[in-house]
Order: sequence, then C-alpha cells, then structure tokens
Amino acid sequence: METILRREEMAEIMLLPIRHHSPACSLQIKKMIESWKPSSILVEGPENANSLREIMVHEETRAPFAIYYSYHDREGKLSKEKAYYKCYYPFLEYSPELTALREAKKRGMEAAFIDLPYGDILAASREGKGLLKDEEKNSYNDDYLLSRNTYIKRLCEKTGLRNFDEFWEKYFEINGLYEEGDVWFSHLFTYCSLARENTPPESMEEDGCLKREAHMAAKIIQCAMAHGAKGRAEERWEEDLMAWMDPYRILVITGGFHTPGIRERLADGRWEETKRLLDNPSARIPKEDQSVYLMPYSMEAADALNGYASGMPFAGFYQKVWEGIGEMDAPYEKAVLDMLVSAGKEVRKKEGYLSTYDEICAWQMAKGLGELRSKPQPGAYELLDAVLSSYIKGEYNIASAMPMLVLKKQMTGRGMGSLCPLADVPPILHDFEMRCKAFGLKVRSTSEMETVLSIFSSRKHRNESMFFHQMVFLGTPFARRVKGPNLQQGKDKNLIRETWKYKWSAEVPAALIDVSVHGATIEEAAASLVGERLKGETGAGRAAVLLTQVFEMGLSGQLEAVYERVQELIVQDTDFYSMAEAVKALTMMEELSGLYGSALEISRLLLESVRKLIGLLPSMAGIKEENLPSCMDAVKMLYQITGKGSDMEQEKEAYFGALDEMCRDEGIHAGLHGCIWGILYGSGRETAIEVEKACLGYLTGTRGQLLQTAVFFRGLFYTAKDLIFIGGKILEMLDDFFGKVEENEFMELLPQLRMAFTYFTPGETDKIAKMAAGLHGKGREDILYRKEILPEWYAYGRELDAYARGHMHKA
Amino acid sequence: MQESIKPPVEVKYKEELDALKSNDTGRCPENWRLSPKAVRAFILGSTQPIEYNGKEVRVEKKYYGNDALVERCIVTLAGNRGLMLVGEPGTAKTMLSELLSAAISGVSTNTIQGTAGTTEDMIKYSWNYALLLAKGPSREALVPAPLYIGMEKGILTRFEEITRTPAEIQDSLISVMSDKILNVPELGEQGFLFARPGFNVIGTANTRDKGVNEMSSALKRRFNFETVMPVREVAVEKQIILNEVNKLAKESNVHMKADEDVAELLASTYHELREGVSSYGHRIDKPAAVMSTAEAVSVYYQTMLTGYYYGEKRMSVDCLVQNLVGAVSKENKEDLGKVREYFNTVVKDKSGKEGGLWKQYYDARKWLK
Ligand SMILES: Nc1ncnc2c1ncn2[C@@H]1O[C@H](COP(=O)(O)OP(=O)(O)O)[C@@H](O)[C@H]1O
Ligand SMILES: [Mg+2]
Repeated sequence: METILRREEMAEIMLLPIRHHSPACSLQIKKMIESWKPSSILVEGPENANSLREIMVHEETRAPFAIYYSYHDREGKLSKEKAYYKCYYPFLEYSPELTALREAKKRGMEAAFIDLPYGDILAASREGKGLLKDEEKNSYNDDYLLSRNTYIKRLCEKTGLRNFDEFWEKYFEINGLYEEGDVWFSHLFTYCSLARENTPPESMEEDGCLKREAHMAAKIIQCAMAHGAKGRAEERWEEDLMAWMDPYRILVITGGFHTPGIRERLADGRWEETKRLLDNPSARIPKEDQSVYLMPYSMEAADALNGYASGMPFAGFYQKVWEGIGEMDAPYEKAVLDMLVSAGKEVRKKEGYLSTYDEICAWQMAKGLGELRSKPQPGAYELLDAVLSSYIKGEYNIASAMPMLVLKKQMTGRGMGSLCPLADVPPILHDFEMRCKAFGLKVRSTSEMETVLSIFSSRKHRNESMFFHQMVFLGTPFARRVKGPNLQQGKDKNLIRETWKYKWSAEVPAALIDVSVHGATIEEAAASLVGERLKGETGAGRAAVLLTQVFEMGLSGQLEAVYERVQELIVQDTDFYSMAEAVKALTMMEELSGLYGSALEISRLLLESVRKLIGLLPSMAGIKEENLPSCMDAVKMLYQITGKGSDMEQEKEAYFGALDEMCRDEGIHAGLHGCIWGILYGSGRETAIEVEKACLGYLTGTRGQLLQTAVFFRGLFYTAKDLIFIGGKILEMLDDFFGKVEENEFMELLPQLRMAFTYFTPGETDKIAKMAAGLHGKGREDILYRKEILPEWYAYGRELDAYARGHMHKA
Repeated sequence: MQESIKPPVEVKYKEELDALKSNDTGRCPENWRLSPKAVRAFILGSTQPIEYNGKEVRVEKKYYGNDALVERCIVTLAGNRGLMLVGEPGTAKTMLSELLSAAISGVSTNTIQGTAGTTEDMIKYSWNYALLLAKGPSREALVPAPLYIGMEKGILTRFEEITRTPAEIQDSLISVMSDKILNVPELGEQGFLFARPGFNVIGTANTRDKGVNEMSSALKRRFNFETVMPVREVAVEKQIILNEVNKLAKESNVHMKADEDVAELLASTYHELREGVSSYGHRIDKPAAVMSTAEAVSVYYQTMLTGYYYGEKRMSVDCLVQNLVGAVSKENKEDLGKVREYFNTVVKDKSGKEGGLWKQYYDARKWLK
C-alpha cells in the first residue's frame, strides 16, 4: 500500500486516511488493526485531549459525546479582544477514531492524539478561517476539505450523483462493506490526493492545515525514533532481537485530506528538522488558559445537516447501518426497510392516508433505484427517493412535504450519549450541584418540579430566584419562570411571588459545559457573559433589557457597568423603537426597585429616556403601516408615564406639545392620528365633539381619505374605546362609512376593522351590534342569523392553514 | 401541419434507440424494449459513444436538471403504479413522458389528450357502428382507444393534461389501473381484456390548472407522483436553449448556429424573472405568467428565424426583445410593466457593469411598450 512507509533502520509506519463519522471507515480500521497488529496508534485530535482517552473508551461511556475545547485568551495572544474560544469534536458510536481508540485499549496498544493543542491551532489560523470562523459552533472535524473542491463537483456531474455525500456513500460506504482493506484504503487515498491537488495551497495555509500537519508529522517521527531500532539502547539489543525482526509498527489515523500531506513530509528525509518543531515553544498558548472536557452530545447536533458539524449527514440512519454490520449480509437494505416502515408508521399516525401498499411500493422503489444506479444495496438517497415518490400524494410542496420531514428527522436520529461517572467535569458543574443542594432542589427527579418563591420577603427565595435567572441567562434548558413580575415585558408588576418549573436532563450539564469557558461558577459565567453581551450592544433598548436581566440575576458587580452603558446609549441612540423599548424596561424597574432593594437611580435613567423619546415623537407622524402597533404602544405608554406624578409635569407638557405638532403634520398616519385623538379626549383636552369633527374630516374627504377612516377608528378605539358608547355619534359615523365603501373596498379594509374591534370585550361588541341594529330599525335577534357557510370554504381555510404552518415550519 | 414537421420521438431518435438496443445487456422487464439502465442512458445521455453498424453513435442528454427524478420515473413504470408528472407548464413533462414511452415501449404516440370534452370512449374504446349493426358486438367492431391499445399490446398509454378532463371521466381509469382488467360488457364472456405486462400509464398535469378538476384521492393512490420543477441553474437553462434551438434549426434546415451569449442573456432573464431575484441581488416583481424554459426556447427560435430569413443570418437583440414582449404580454398586460421594471433595474446595472451584449439589450428597452 502507498500509505506504508518503511525505513529499515526505523519503525514501520502506516498512514490511514479516514472520513469522520463513517461506518465503513470504522469497519476497515478495525480489520486493519486486527491484521496488521500495530504497536502504537496515533490519532488526529488536539493533543491536550490525551487525558480524556481513558474516559472515552470506558465501557460505561456512550456516544454521541464530544470533546469540548475552550480557551480564554487572557493574555491577548490572539487578539486585543482577549476573547473566549471554544470548539467541539463530536464522536458517534461508529466514529473511526473512537473505534481505533477502543481497539487500542482492547489489545493493549499505545494510543495518542497528535494534533496541535486547540489554542495553538487557533494561533495557526488566519482571522475568520478554520477554527477561527465566526460561527456559533465550530467543529474540529474538517471533512469539508474532502467535499468542497472543484474536482468533486465535476466528479458528481460525471457520475450522475447529486453531491459528495451520495458519491461517498456509493463508492466508499456501501463498497466498504465488501472490499479488501488495502484496496479500499488505496482508493480512498487516491481520492484524497485528488481532492488535495484541487484545493488552493493558500487556503490550506490560512486555516492552519499545514502547521497542523507539520506538527502531526513531528509527533509521528518522535514516536518512530523513540521506538525504532535506532532508538534502542545497544545493551538491550539481544533481548529485543525478536522485536528487531518484528519491527515497531505505528498506525496513524487522520482525516483523509491530511494523509497525503503528512506522507509527503515523512518521505522527505528531513526527519531531524521536522522533529525539532516540537522543541520550539515560541507560539505556545498558555496551557492553563485552555481546558478540555467531555460532554454528552446529541444526534441532532452531530448530524452534519444541522449546519455546524462537518461529518456525514444522516447520523441516525448510519447508526442503524452500523448496528447491522456483522449481524447480517445486507445492513443497508435492512436499515432502508426499517426506516421506510418506521417513517410510514409515523406518517400514518399523523395523517392516516398511508397504506401498507404504499410501503411496499416504496420498498420496491428503493431496491429498483439501487439496481438502476448500480449500487450493491440501496442507501440513504434511495430511501429519500422512495419516500418522495411513494408517500407523497399529489404535488410536492410545503403543505404536502410532511412525510419527508418525518423521514429526515428519523434519519438524523435522536437522543444523547452519556459519560461514565469517572468523567471529569468543569468546576461550573460542581457549582451547579452545590447550589441545587443548598436550595434543596430535586434534581434527580425525572419529572418537572415546581417551586414558588416569595422574592421580596425571603432572602433565601430571592437567592434561589437569582440562581434560576442566571441559569436561564446562560441558555441552559433547566428552569423556566411560569409566573411572576416580568421586567422585560413590563407585565404582572403586582405579583409578589415567582413560580418556577425546573427539570434536570442530560442536556443541562452539556449546556453548562458549553459555557464553562466563561467561568468556574454559575454566577461568574453569567457575569462574564453579561460583559460579552454589553460589548456588542449598540441600542438603548436592548441594553436596558440587559439591565433588567442583570437586576433579576442579582449580579451586583455588573450593575454599574451596565447602568453606565445604558446611560451612554440613551444619549447616542436615535432609534425611536429602541428608545421606546428602553422606556418600557426602565418603567417597571423603577417601580419595583424599592422592592428589589436596589440603590441604583433608575428614575434618572427613566427621565432621560422619556425626554429623549418625547423629543423623537414628532418625527414619527408619517410611519409605515407595519410600525403602527409599536408606535401606538409608545404613545400610550408615554401618556401613562407622564401622567403619573408631579415630577413629570414638565414632560407632560412636552408630550402634549409633541402630539400637537404631530396632528398638524399633513402626512400623519391615520391610525396614529386616531390614537392621538383618543388620548386628547381621554385626558380631557378635547371634547367628544372635536373628536367627531376630526373623524368627519376623513369621512367627507377625498376617496383616499375616506378609506383611511377604518384605520383611524382602529387608532381611536385603541386609546378611547368608550367613545363609541357616548352619544352614539361615532357609531353613526361608522355606519355611514360602511354605507359609503364598495364591497371590494370593504374586503380590503376588513383587516383594519377587525383590529379596531379587537379592543372591545365580547360583551361590548354585543352591545355595539345591538346599537347598530337599532340604527337600521332592527332588533338584536335580526342580526343573529346568517347564511350558512359552505363546507368548501372551511376546507379551503384548512388547506390555507396547513400551507401557512408549513411555511412557518420551514422558516 | 405542426405534426408533420415534428416527427415522434421514436423516429427522431431511431438511431440512438437502435444502438442502445443492440448494446443492451441489462435485464428487461417483460415487454420492455430496453432495460432500465438503457432507458436511463437514452434520457440522461451516456458518457461513451456506442458502436453500432460500424458507426459511433452518441446518446445525448435530453432532460437536464434532475437525474434522480428520471430514475424514479423509470422504476415507477416498471412497478405496479402509474406515473403522474405534475408541474408548471413548460417544465418538460410532455417531453419526459414521450421519451419514456419511446424508450420503454417503442412508441410515444399512444396518447389520450385530456380536455374538458374528453369522454370515456376516447380513453377506452368505441364502436364502428356499421360493423356493429351488421355483425353485432364483436372484437372486430370495437375501435380501441389508447388505454385499450396499451393493455392489449403491453405498452405505455400516455394521458396528457389529465386534470382538464372531468373528474368522473378520470375515475374510469381506477379499476383498470388497480385490476389490470378492462371489461367490455357488450362482448359478454369474451369481454375481458387482461393487460399484458409492459402496460402502464404516464399522466401529466399542469399545476397552474389546479382546482379545475382535482384528481380524486382514489385515483391519486394509483400513481406515484413526480413534481417537475423549472431548472435551477442559469448555466443549465442556457444549455437547454442551445440544444433545443440547434435541434429545431436542423430539423427545419435552417443553417445557423445558436449563439452562446444570447442564450445566456435569455436564460438569465427567464431565470431571474422566475425566481424574483437577480444575480446581483435585486428583488424583482415576478410576472404572473409562467416564465418557462420552453417559452425561452421559443423566443430564441423565433428571433433566430427572423434573423435567418430577413437579417443576414444574424441574431438581432431588438428582435429578441420584441419577441420577449410578445411572450410575456400574452396572458396579462401587467406583466409587461414588471419586465420593464426588470430592464430599468437589473438590465441597466448589468449593462453598466458588464457592457457588451447587456448594453445592447438595455438599449433595446424601447420595444417594451
Ligand atoms: N429540464 C429540461 N431539460 C430539457 N429540456 C427542457 C427542460 N425544461 C424545459 N425544457 C424544454 O422545454 C420544453 C418543454 O415542453 P413540454 O414538455 O411541452 O413542457 P410541459 O409538458 O411541462 O408543459 C421541452 O421540449 C424542452 O425543449
Ligand atoms: Mg405538456
């Protein structure tokens, strides 16, 4: 095989290319280890994870799990930002690397990870490239190198396959079950060499690929020189005679893309030079600022289709295949059939139309396609095609796509792995357990627990609430508040207790490990995340919301910094809606700050932001339709705030001045206009007569103005719905308005009118209807009967609903 | 007249079909002329030319954009269910159905054309009344229609635009497709026609016709559906235009080759108007009419003919725009406004940045009236 390097005075080295998450690779690796019997197995993977190998191969550890690498750049070695970095290296039950490590343990072989430590990989990568890519989740897997090149694109066109994954499945996965190891690996090596030749060298430099390969080569050389014949002491020569005849064998397992690169380095004969790379600690990233942990991982997250990982797609499907390997002759066929049946079952449960005959047809389709495409067995793509053609009746669109969604979910798989009890966990998890104990939380229960906290009267309860809030802020799926004052939405301020529900699950530690780079305790991590969040905040609104969160979390150390930032942003921010959000968040905080026992001067912030918002108000007259609700909200909120006490007297005048100015604006939005008239009426500044006059202005105006009456009413009823019951004039006008518009115009205005009447309670609408009937000399009963509605209309409505739901699902 | 100019697929591609047959080593489903793999090669092209009669025959790719769909169609037809191709007009449903029939059964003309006036007679059989009166009901007096013919010979029956026929007429297919037996009550004991292997039905339905005569769910169950989408990539659409236009030109003895750049221009226009977004990222209002590839081919070909006969064998961009106007404003006048808007934004920017043909195209906007 091309990948075996022999040096007579040294050890024998075999380089095997792999693809992450490939069952066939796993199988082939296993066979190769059996037959070649290496002494040592070296695996691609940051070497700072070597301490975790023991736990990874422990029999109580279940995949999927991931190695979680993190680095806090305290010394600013990577950038001035001194940022936090993290990445994942996920393993599935059938990951070849895991298989190799397990085999090594079983056979008492040595094993090691040989890639650069995580921090050094970061240091070797260019900004925004490789593991420095600006993504939510970075994966150490770099299989994308195998699939994103110009060569594979042409190859797929030539072979009539739709993408690299289908190509891979056909030629490497399914064939991998039958082919001899050396044939299979040499095909793979050829493919990888071609992929590499078609990748620009700059990009290999940029994402740190070349530096990593140099390091891995150095590690291999180090191992070879330590164990090879030359490395042995003369006097032990005789004892080692057997070993001399039977050379030390090193099996190296790396992502296929790297194999040719490493091979080239090892073949160049400059071993000493390469090995010296290991002595040069110049670019070294401090060890103490990096950490590695194992964490349970989910199938969903491991599935390449979910965006961040770059292993193989359809993790659940290949899991099934893997389980069948060795058990039966045709594991692919079996997996396809199983999934056709299980997807069929679920589809039937959801919609009920699917028959056994459909399943038979689908199975025939999968097999027929397999044959037509010259695949030894049908695979993932035949499965997808079979469901598409046999389970979906009629046109394929968002409304009919359910069976495909069901199938894809099943192909992704579900569930999480778990770690053996020996697994080391980051300090933040210990902190979590301690705190739960301190608060007497039942975290061993599998059902959801509830607890009610008197946050203003019990210090202990307040502390517990702070803990819950911190957990929520950290994005862990542990606790949720179901009742209680809501500072962010300005709701339920009269509640004095919070009700929380909480439940422990395997996802909680996973989520905590995920944020462990930010601190050793829950509180510390929350505080550090607040700092991060604050750096990116440019709007007063979001910053004020953050302030309320810090407040709830009781992070007193952070309060001042956030407070100052909010203050700054109130001055800078000129976005009306952002300011309105700030006012909303601050209002409730101000009211409750006494109860929460805060010393911050929220009222000053509030006053400043109210002033700013009033100042911005006049420019809002000509808003767009979609902004009407939030703008009306803000106008009403300002009315309530400025009417509250004597210290707002000045602002109150400014507010009404602003309203005045808006009303004089020719281009004022009719809805906003109605809303303002309602306020003027409610505050006693204008009489009902004046409001009616304004309304008449629209009614008797040009056609365009007339049609605006509907939205005017919407605004008016939002702030002063009682007007409709007084004197009856407004109702008459509404009636008059209906008389004036044409049917098609009416249909167009209907949404606005509907909105206008949502502000009334059912009792009120009843009363209005009666009054309206009276206008036409009819009684209440006369309007209760309507023409029947055709069943087709309902059917159409249902279809429309399904379509909309499908759309939202997709989004 | 159109018919005589356009030969059926099995005639047009006789050589390819014969060559494939002579080299076919695959197993054929009963009564199929070619094996599934050879059918695939006929529609999707083969990488190597085939030796036939001492000649090298190239099998060209005829349907672009979705190989997997063609493969599913072939497997469906070898099974127990019919094949229903649904999609917007101009997505090559008819073309696919003809290609499949020609390759599988050797004929593409055993076809029912669905219209509001289609009756059961036109699907199953009718009678020769003179014979009927003279001899009474007998096989001789029976005039078979495409479904009967398909069953009797073991070949495919094509049903075009099935949703245009009244629902109760469509439903007369149900029993035949599930039991593979057609009963002719007038013939008594002899009146049972059992379908020979090889028989199946390919239907096409236009999704823009939807709601006209929605298929019953009982009928739907007898078919595997394939939704045919417009081509996704400009490069592919351009390739289709070039191929189709060159083929048309050859058939009509027009000695002129299609121009790559013009084809690309037209493909971009159709693609962008269909998707509602340009390659530069402009958002465009989509015309209500279908912007199909078939339409693009026809716009190109008309322009080419004009150029050939009246314009010194050159394509004129002015003429192209005139034909484009004719095509889009056929159904609805508002669409023309949208195309004008497209010229004023996208074409304008492209003319500035790319110049050349795009500039000529932009200058021809005066025809967008
Ligand atoms: N994907 C495609 N591949 C090849 N040709 C296509 C494709 N899409 C459209 N065409 C061209 O457009 C024509 C489509 O016409 P037709 O089959 O009548 O469409 P439909 O029956 O869907 O309305 C074809 O004859 C072909 O020239
Ligand atoms: Mg058609």
